[in-house]
Amino acid sequence: MIAIQTEDVDIGDLITAAKKHGTGAVVVFDGIVRDDDITEMELEAYEDVATPELEKIAGDATERFNLLHVDIIHRIGRLSVGENILIIIVSAGHREEAYGGSRFIIEAIKAGVPIWKKELTKNGGRWVPGEHGHGSGEPRQSLH
Amino acid sequence: MQFHERNTGEQIMNVKVRFFARFRELLGTELIVEVAERMTLPDLIKQITQKNIEGHQAIFDEHGHFREYVIVMRNARRVDLADAEKNIVADGDDIAVFPPVAGG
Repeated sequence: MIAIQTEDVDIGDLITAAKKHGTGAVVVFDGIVRDDDITEMELEAYEDVATPELEKIAGDATERFNLLHVDIIHRIGRLSVGENILIIIVSAGHREEAYGGSRFIIEAIKAGVPIWKKELTKNGGRWVPGEHGHGSGEPRQSLH
Repeated sequence: MQFHERNTGEQIMNVKVRFFARFRELLGTELIVEVAERMTLPDLIKQITQKNIEGHQAIFDEHGHFREYVIVMRNARRVDLADAEKNIVADGDDIAVFPPVAGG
């Protein structure tokens, strides 16, 4: 399941579904709204581009790390402290592949998928700065 | 593709321009803009932002160049801003302008 959506998901159900034949390890990444003295977090995405990008990243990770299953669910809209933002579930035959695939996916998302976060505070809000460059880096291959 | 003609016979094209995140707050979510033939991508964005000083300054520097952190996509492909002047917009183009991404 690759999705950008407002709704939360049942991570337990996803783990169960990820246990494909041959699975020896499932790694779950659950990015959560942290309590940085904020009231809520607001997320938006350029979905026309972001969804295909997530599908490309999942495909790249599957090929590179021999993954058996990949879920990426990135939530958008207003989220409260403690809510899930991003859920990545991967399964593989061995832990090295599962850990490697999960890490590859989260870093690729942070590097180039057009999604933004705004921290809402009592005094207004602030956009979270990106970790990767300021638009001067190499675009992902799939964007060309 | 729909072309309109003014009395001058000049062809007018429709281009969709979208802004995201901080740029959306300053300039609006989505615009359908009528543009004349042979307009460059930077000129199109300047035309849209010219009456919005804060929005304009968020995207362009004092020399009228795209700021280093700005990302522009044309029809889901990233535009190399070093060559932005060579980009001539076409009818039906879908342009997106946004600041650095921060997902995850």
